[in-house]
Amino acid sequence: MKKIWIAVGVVSALTFAGCGGGEKTETKTAATAAPAGGAATPDLANGATVTGKVIFDGTKPVAKTIDMSANPTCMNAHKAAPQKSEEVVINDNGTVKYAFVWVKAGLPDQTWQIPTSTVELNQTGCMYQPHVIGIMAGQNIDIKNSDPTNHNIHPMPAINQEWNESQPPGSADKMQSFPRQEVMVPVKCQIHNWMRAYIGVVSNPFYAVTGDDGTFSLKGLPPGTYTIQVWQEKYGTQEQTITVGAKDSKTLDFTIKG
Amino acid sequence: MSDQEKDPVVHSSLSKALVIWSALLAVSMVWGLYDEMYGIRPWKGYQARFEKLYHHYLATARLGEADREKQIRSQPEYKMLDRDTLAAEKAAMPEAAGIDTEVNGNLVPKILALNDPFQEVRSHIGALTYEIEVSKSESTKDSLRKQIVELRAEVHKVALAGEKEKRSMTFPDMEKQLAEWKARKAELLQRRVDVMKRATDLRAQRDKYLSDRISDASLDTLSSVENSLAKFDIRIRQIHIKDVDLVDRCESCHMGIREPVRLTAASMGGEAVFTSHPDKELLKIHDPEKFGCTPCHGGNGAALSSVEKAHGYNKYWLWPMHHAENIEAGCQQCHVKELVTEQADTLNTGREIFRRRGCMGCHRYEGFDREGDEIASVNQQIHQDEQQKAEWTREAGFAEQAANNPKTTNAEAQKLYAHANDLKVRSSGIDAQIEQLDMRSESLVREVKKVGPSLKEVRMKLRREWIPEWLKDPHAWREGTKMPSFRLDQEEIRAIAAYVWQSGVQGDLPSQKSGDPEKGREAFETRGCMACHSMGEGGQKQGGTFAANLSREGEKANYDYLVRWVHNPRQRTAPYCPYEKKDLTAADYQKHGLPFVFDLGHDKCPNDGHELQVQQMTPMPNLRLTEDEARDIASYLMTRKHSGAAYAGASFMDDPALKNKGLAAIRNYGCAGCHEIAGLEDEQRIGTELTKEGSKPIERLDFALLGHKAEEQGWMTHKGFFEHKLADPAVYDTGKEKAKQDKLKMPNFNFSKPEIDAVTTFLEGSVDASVPPRYFYAPTDQRQDIIEGWWVVRKYNCMGCHHVHVGQTSVFDDMARYQDPDWRDQKPPTLIGEGARVNPEWLMHFLNNPALSETDTNRDGVRQYLKARMPTFSFSDGEVRKIVRFFEALSSQAQPFIADKLEPLTDQERTMARQLFSSEGAPCLKCHMTGDPAHDTRASAPNFTVAKDRLKPGWVKRWILDPALMSPGTAMPSGLFRKEGDHYVFNGPLPASFNGYTKDQADLLVRYMFQFTPEELSRLRSSASGR
Repeated sequence: MKKIWIAVGVVSALTFAGCGGGEKTETKTAATAAPAGGAATPDLANGATVTGKVIFDGTKPVAKTIDMSANPTCMNAHKAAPQKSEEVVINDNGTVKYAFVWVKAGLPDQTWQIPTSTVELNQTGCMYQPHVIGIMAGQNIDIKNSDPTNHNIHPMPAINQEWNESQPPGSADKMQSFPRQEVMVPVKCQIHNWMRAYIGVVSNPFYAVTGDDGTFSLKGLPPGTYTIQVWQEKYGTQEQTITVGAKDSKTLDFTIKG
Repeated sequence: MSDQEKDPVVHSSLSKALVIWSALLAVSMVWGLYDEMYGIRPWKGYQARFEKLYHHYLATARLGEADREKQIRSQPEYKMLDRDTLAAEKAAMPEAAGIDTEVNGNLVPKILALNDPFQEVRSHIGALTYEIEVSKSESTKDSLRKQIVELRAEVHKVALAGEKEKRSMTFPDMEKQLAEWKARKAELLQRRVDVMKRATDLRAQRDKYLSDRISDASLDTLSSVENSLAKFDIRIRQIHIKDVDLVDRCESCHMGIREPVRLTAASMGGEAVFTSHPDKELLKIHDPEKFGCTPCHGGNGAALSSVEKAHGYNKYWLWPMHHAENIEAGCQQCHVKELVTEQADTLNTGREIFRRRGCMGCHRYEGFDREGDEIASVNQQIHQDEQQKAEWTREAGFAEQAANNPKTTNAEAQKLYAHANDLKVRSSGIDAQIEQLDMRSESLVREVKKVGPSLKEVRMKLRREWIPEWLKDPHAWREGTKMPSFRLDQEEIRAIAAYVWQSGVQGDLPSQKSGDPEKGREAFETRGCMACHSMGEGGQKQGGTFAANLSREGEKANYDYLVRWVHNPRQRTAPYCPYEKKDLTAADYQKHGLPFVFDLGHDKCPNDGHELQVQQMTPMPNLRLTEDEARDIASYLMTRKHSGAAYAGASFMDDPALKNKGLAAIRNYGCAGCHEIAGLEDEQRIGTELTKEGSKPIERLDFALLGHKAEEQGWMTHKGFFEHKLADPAVYDTGKEKAKQDKLKMPNFNFSKPEIDAVTTFLEGSVDASVPPRYFYAPTDQRQDIIEGWWVVRKYNCMGCHHVHVGQTSVFDDMARYQDPDWRDQKPPTLIGEGARVNPEWLMHFLNNPALSETDTNRDGVRQYLKARMPTFSFSDGEVRKIVRFFEALSSQAQPFIADKLEPLTDQERTMARQLFSSEGAPCLKCHMTGDPAHDTRASAPNFTVAKDRLKPGWVKRWILDPALMSPGTAMPSGLFRKEGDHYVFNGPLPASFNGYTKDQADLLVRYMFQFTPEELSRLRSSASGR
């Protein structure tokens, strides 16, 4: 009888030993995973650069004039020239302003450092300035009200959480961020219902908004093959794939048909 | 050879046998042990494994938890709270310690020392007093009283802590001294609480900071679990509920079910058997100690010998455990009165399919489609009441007669007169009751609806050739339609089409000019039609599933009729008199010199005064569109067709010889269960009643020739029967030789797998419950109103447009157009919290007249800026009452509603509020309607003039403080007010008049809104213009 219990003892000892072994392996995997958890930043020295422009092909659409007559304060801000809609803005060189370009896929699976700097979104002349911004998920947007009237900022995301805050004239800036990637988040002001802005929220640092020359540049990309997407408010999105090596400098143009 | 050598004892060795036997013995012992653990008592093995796994899990959880707690404790906020707590404690300590010394070192010992002699004398006096009370002689009483006086005056030597000398005290001295010390002690203790208050508050804040940030079990919980696990022993765990004679031993294996730590299969070494119950909330409501396990889940709770037996999956067990996909079947047996049970989505879907797809047209089910039954019972009640009244009247007459008789004594006569009067008064009560029942009966005629459209109107409504094509296979013509496919042969199709065509009513239909299909399309997509109807086929489909897909409407409809239908879907060609059982014609009215007018205001039969059916029995409401708009929409719908769709001629439909055959076929297939058909208005349901179908003995479910197959494949169960029948209703005809009319009639609904699961869940739970009444969910409070209300809310598809409960989506949420930021503001309002928001009187009025106007009906009464509008449903009074009560109950509002009295505004306050309303800092009038047409087209919120009748002031205040809390995503911005001290102030530049105003500014605006008049609105508007 005694022997049985000894045997039982041996078996259970082995079982426990087995368990112990299992635990050890777990710690090991955890240890190797740890350094990979640190947030990365774009390697500007060795990374690749993709530059390009967003070209408009077609007859330049006539921008609509925004009717602000119901709000004299807003009207006054545009005494010199009535404000035009910014839905489609074509630069003099035939490129598209306010197009959002970003790396949609292809990046290694890792976390990128969130910049501590903020991106400004100003409400001035009852318009959002600028019309389109890009931020990293988790990065703060500095929302200003430079108008002598009340605005409400109402982002209408599909994935992130929606909010709608009043910002009276002269009040402090609001700092807000979106924790999840979402291209694009429309922003609206119910009080001045023509006011519209778009925020591209990206979980990597490779994105850009085209300006007055219609160009963009994505710097410090690790070598790899990427899907680059361009978004325009009216014309939607299109994508291209590009492969870059270390220190490469490549050009990638997009053409939006009007 | 010596004798010794021959001795068997010496010579024959038994060691071989001994070895064998001892080996056998050892084996059987091992076997016995094994059997004990895993054979006949498998639960012991489970328990041993559970203990081991749980230990292991707790150890790992503790590590993670300790890390997280450490991390939280290192947060600056926590550290600050911790520091403050310690500092406050330190600051309060000297005084608190002083108090402690005084109380514990001085007062308490003194009180204790004095208390003994004091109590002794007091009880003595008490005893003497009692003797006085019970003694009968005055002299004894007097002597006793004297004794008390002596006792009180007697001097006692009392030794007190901290005093060298004994004190000499009389009873009153002691009493006074004790009271003094006790008061002092209470005072000091209160003082200590006050001194420590800041420290205590801070400590609570600090602990809350920690507990708020730990979603799982805290270290404390883990420790207590570990402690109880140390006392773990292997034994049967059972729940015994005496009054039901229920013994559930499920937890002998499922040991993690009620653990305070949330256990998943992954955390328990992949063993799903040890997981905790997935819904702690549900378990809290249905405490296993009161309900057990098997009443909800099924299975054999007492069995322990094998998993199969415990789960009731052996052949003769009547209540097998519900499978995962039908788990909510267990809810149905006790929640039998509900259409919507919280947290039981599958079951709710099953009930909804049963209702909406027309199962209830053929199968009776208690509670479903009850209007018809109720009409009968109300009429019977009226009849009984009338008899009772007649009886009482007669009796009163007799009593008066007897009283009038001169031979009756005055006293007797008075009694009789009184009796007669009583009876009269009671009769008058019956009159009131009959009046109510009459109203109810009128209501019920309005409430009764059919699942399918009326077939009386086909001649006016439809293109003739389409009917046989449709009957052939409705699902082939329109994917996902409500109408199921019957297995009709060519003969039957011809006959049914002929009967329907020939029995249809004829009426005048004005010829309509054509409308603008483009405008019609816009209206169709934005007015709210798509909350019920869908448009587009395949992947293009958008809109609701409550009503038909209209992608091919142009192929079947008659334009003139369609215009009338869109304009007012309730309009009937001829009223139906249930008493005469016929559709009335103009001639019936003419006979009595009446115009042929019938509507909700003219709903009595001219021939016999009975209640007429004056409406189409459709839930489709009236959108109060102009005729032009109705024409636009109808024109658009007429463009919706497949190009090149061809229909064979159907002249046979006029063949009178087919009519009788058609009638027989219609009866056979039970068409009148869902459609109004001339001559078949009183048809009974043709299917089996399903109220208790889930507990019908299995041998009474006719598996026909599939019995053996079912047994082999393991679906010889209720679940198996239902699933096969729902997937293919003709399945049990397989291999049978039957005449056409004897074959199974149930048509094919083309159910998807999830739909089959939902209906199966519903039917599996439809049992003759073997549990006592206390298990049933039959609340007597407001929750009853919620149960009742759901039936109406679902009946009219309120949830197509509105959010009624948290987590629900409306059709608008999914429509492509409404994803745009501008269109999102065009969605119908959410009704979550509606009961707390609106005045019930107002809601009643609004439901009856959503335009809030008798004349200006082409609008929504509240939100004229919305393209979609609240339609007129012509609810019965009963339905209105149920809806109002439903919303009140959902928000736990007291009934009846009594409005809060608001403090009147002073003139100055009115001016201030007006200035704020129209200031550049307060944007109220930018979005809210003002009554100025130019402004209102751009508005996105209701007019303030409606507020005081419509809203509840408390709600308005909560709303303006934080609207996003009630309605995430609302156009109304948050952050309009901030708290300063104990009151709210407007968060923005204030007009100068507010200088020195100390009252709550949110309250001011609420009071202003509730004392708002049209005159004030125009003053407000003029002061706002120019901005």
